[in-house]
Amino acid sequence: MFGIDIAKVFELFKYDRHDKLFFGSSFFFFLFLGLILFLFLSKNDKRLRWALLINFSFFFYYKAIGYLPFVLLGSAIINYLFGKQLLKDTSSKVKQFWLAGGVLFNIGALGYYKYSNFFMQVAADLQHQPFEASALLIPMGISYFTFKALSYLFDIYYGSIEEHYTFSDFLLYLVFFPAVMLGPIDKARDFLPQVNKDYSMNKSQVGRGIFLISIGLIKKYVFADYLYTNLVARVLDSPERFTGVEIVLAVYAAAIQLYLDFSGYTDIGIGIACLMGFELTENFNFPYKAKSVAEFWRRWHKSLSGWLQEYLFTPLQMSMRNLKLFGNIIAIFITFVLCGIWHGASYNFLIWGALHAFFMAFSLGIKKPKEALYKAVKFDRVVKTKLWGVVQVIFTFHLILLAWVFFETPNLEAVEKVYTQIRDFFKPGVFAQFVSVYPILIFLMIAGYILCFTPRFIYDKLESIMQKLPLVVQAEILAVVIWLVTQFRFADMLPPQYFNY
Amino acid sequence: MISDRFKQAVLKELKLDDFDIKDETLANQVPGWDSLNHINVIVAIEKEFKVRFKSIEVLKCKNLGDLQKLVDSKISK
Repeated sequence: MFGIDIAKVFELFKYDRHDKLFFGSSFFFFLFLGLILFLFLSKNDKRLRWALLINFSFFFYYKAIGYLPFVLLGSAIINYLFGKQLLKDTSSKVKQFWLAGGVLFNIGALGYYKYSNFFMQVAADLQHQPFEASALLIPMGISYFTFKALSYLFDIYYGSIEEHYTFSDFLLYLVFFPAVMLGPIDKARDFLPQVNKDYSMNKSQVGRGIFLISIGLIKKYVFADYLYTNLVARVLDSPERFTGVEIVLAVYAAAIQLYLDFSGYTDIGIGIACLMGFELTENFNFPYKAKSVAEFWRRWHKSLSGWLQEYLFTPLQMSMRNLKLFGNIIAIFITFVLCGIWHGASYNFLIWGALHAFFMAFSLGIKKPKEALYKAVKFDRVVKTKLWGVVQVIFTFHLILLAWVFFETPNLEAVEKVYTQIRDFFKPGVFAQFVSVYPILIFLMIAGYILCFTPRFIYDKLESIMQKLPLVVQAEILAVVIWLVTQFRFADMLPPQYFNY
Repeated sequence: MISDRFKQAVLKELKLDDFDIKDETLANQVPGWDSLNHINVIVAIEKEFKVRFKSIEVLKCKNLGDLQKLVDSKISK
């Protein structure tokens, strides 16, 4: 009657590599609206709600990637079985055995899928042999769901989880679509109790969800994608073709682009979860306001740094406490080198992690003599002033910027080119030319930096205003933001950059 | 309940004049008790009470009340 071509409708639900399903697309929001409606209708039936969420999550994964997450499913089954053994009332030795088995299984699977090529490359490089990477499919999101599965095992082992959750509950924890591919890496003890909660939704939750989705859409699709395509990737993928000024601008743009891309996408994920009655962990807290690299890690990718701190760094610290400061420094290096290669299997990521470790270890090493010196020269009052705080923020930001060069470039040759081009071809006159030719890029950079340094209270105030607005107005605001994003988007939507890691 | 001796050991290590430590206080709520300093506070408590914790015992503590109970259990042995 309406002339609907059923075949075309089916096509919409099939994977299309030119039209992947990401959070920002209109099709996603159309489907999500349907899901919300069905969740509301099934609010009294937990099993139906669970089935809807699991199936939608698998569908989302398939539409974004093109294959079903069988590795994830296999990982879920095996980890659940390990969890069952850990939950049994047995001796601590037996528990240690099952925990070690679970850790080995997860690290082994992650190592096989993600790092086989890298390890073979390192071995070949050590023997000065040529190396050709084998085409091994890396299951999307493996770094995230592996860490979530490990969190489940550790939380049982440390007694934070005592309840016997069903396999369905655990599967939902791993595959939950707002966080399946990019986090946040919620701890099992924080997420699992929410699965059994009765469905409830109020205006305030809806307001928070819509606020986060709106902010996230603007950060990701208005700022980050434009800066990435037109400046960051263009320049840093082949720095030898650009002048020092353009490279410096690209590096400064990279810092905000990475933040807006990743935090924007996870904001949308957290907002979407919020609209379904789930509270996910906050992942970012204005990281560039940090006064030290250690503080940066308490603000950047908080769900990952929290995971590393609780399950890796603190146990390492404890086991090496006899070595005093030296033990702390070893723990920092082990944690951050692993954090580096968690992001990707390459020398660049390894060095990026090691640089962060070096900054923190150096700061820790000089802490006592520095405090003594400040006291001796009566500088200890100055360090408590706001002005000194600003100096610390600027200094820390530039240390992080230095490390981002390794993160944002494809290989070590490109890193070298970045620095040699800045040294040899830095012509200040290019800056004026750049501003006149690319005013939008400069505008987005300035506005992006303002977003990065917005006082937290303004952000919180906006959220609370949104929560108080009538539901109709909240929905209208979201519709306007989606329209704005669609208008601003100049090309295909880019997957979040962190998908590559 | 947090004993005065426990509280003083924490305050001394973190160079704090005073801070209200309760059973439910979390480590990261105490000024200066961050992830890097964590081990120094644990070692200071071990020294003060002349006890030795196992890693897992400390990792299982959810708050400072749990840590105080751990100290108490070690002393009473």
